[in-house]
Formats: sequence, structure tokens, C-alpha cells
Amino acid sequence: MGNFNFSIDLPVRSEWANVDLLRTSVQNCFTAIFSDIEGCHSLAMVTGELIENAIKYGDWTASDEQRFRLRVWGEGRSAHISVENPVRSTDTNAEEVMKTLGWMRSFPSAIEAYRAKLLEIAAADRDPGNSKLGLVRIAYEGNCLLSAALDRGVLRVQAELTV
Amino acid sequence: MQGLTVGDLRIEALDTPPAVQLLWRGKSNERHPGEALAPYFREVLAAAGTRNLPVELHFEKLEHFNSSTITSIIQLIQDSRARSIKLVLVYDQALKWQKLSFDALRVFAKDELLELRSA
Repeated sequence: MGNFNFSIDLPVRSEWANVDLLRTSVQNCFTAIFSDIEGCHSLAMVTGELIENAIKYGDWTASDEQRFRLRVWGEGRSAHISVENPVRSTDTNAEEVMKTLGWMRSFPSAIEAYRAKLLEIAAADRDPGNSKLGLVRIAYEGNCLLSAALDRGVLRVQAELTV
Repeated sequence: MQGLTVGDLRIEALDTPPAVQLLWRGKSNERHPGEALAPYFREVLAAAGTRNLPVELHFEKLEHFNSSTITSIIQLIQDSRARSIKLVLVYDQALKWQKLSFDALRVFAKDELLELRSA
């Protein structure tokens, strides 16, 4: 992909059907602009995994505003994907996200962290549920740098990809 | 052997020797894919075990799977090994996402019971 500047900022209803709608929208949008089909697939995969996490682990108990925020933007040769969702103050998921990012940084490379996560899942008796495989996949398969921040009850997870 | 359709995913089953083949098409993007895949895989392993056939999963035509689907595939790897049934995962290495996903799964290819093969 060449240099580019763009920005998408969407308030999205927290409905599972929107995962694939947005994942394919990002893929189709970037495929229409850039010739690097594989790079577009990576951006789409990263978008899908981040949205899945937001819908699965966000706090959607408030009846009036069941939306998360998806932002996709690029500048120069960097693409950024950010998803923000509300979290319960008692929920440990945000803490687990931070721990997972720290755990990933303890490995020399994303592939080594990913392999370790696969082995961890295999060692679990049954479906480990909240394994955070999606985050580790974003770093490995999406070749992204991940960061996260928790601010006033909103968790933001952001992926940066150099293209 | 019946196929499986769940959401945007279609799995066609061919149980003619030399293997039980599962041809994956579409997208595996369900919230809990394991709820449909786990019981289906149990049926497949039972059929393959009865007929003493290996199981081949073909992903070449699959457009996308989410990380929850990868978890289900890992559990199939574990279950097939526990039953001493050979499992073959066939993918398209010309597709970067498939190459990356399945290359990483080679971490489980420690004996002849699991083979990863690029089409």
C-alpha cells in the first residue's frame, strides 16, 4: 500500500451481526483503494477481532446507549484501528486485556507469543472462553502493535499496522 | 456423513476412502462457533474411527475464520490425537492469512497424527 490519509469514525450498535458487516466493509473499502489485497484482509481481520471483543466483553446493561466506537484511520504508512466500549467497574476484562498485552511483550516476537497461546488453549480441558487469542492473533497475523487504555469506564484497544 | 451449515459457514462432508473430508466454505464468524462445531466434530471422529479413516479438513475455499473457530480447531486436534485418528489440515498457502494461521498450528504437529499440508 502507498501513503494514505483517511479516517472513519463510527458509533456502532452492539449487535453481533455488525461484526461481519464492519469487517467486510473495511475489507471492501480498502480493497477498492489499494492493490494490496492481503494487507486489506489483515486490516479487516484486526477490525473483526477488536469488534468481537467489544461486543463480548463490553458493558451493555445500560438501555439507552448500546454502542461502541470504531475508528479506522491512516497517516503516512501507518494504519490504526481503535475500538472503544464501556466496561463495568467490577469487570476484570479490562485488566485481563492489559495483562495479555504485557504477557505478549514478554516474548521476543509475536509468533512466539501466538504459539504459546495456542499451546495454552490446547492444555485447557475444554473451551477456555475468554482466552484472548484474538488479541494475540492481531499482533501475529495482523502484524500490529497493540495498546489499551481504560479511562472513566471506557476501554480503548488500539492496533497500529505499518503498511 | 452429513455436512454442517452454521451462519455463513458451510462444511461439506465426503466420507469416501481414503479419508473423511470436510470442505469448508464461506465464513466462520459465529459468536460461539464451538457450540455447533464441537458436536459435529465428535460425530466426524466417531465415523472416521469406525471406518478407520483419517480426517481431512480443507480450508482452501474458506474466506475467513475468527479466533473462536481457531480454538475449536485446536480442540479437534486434541480430540483426534486422543482417539489416535490422523488429522490432516489442508490450506492455501498463497493466501497470506491462511499461511500465517496454519503455519502457527504446526506447533501441534509433533507426530504422524497431525499433518498440515499446503494445497
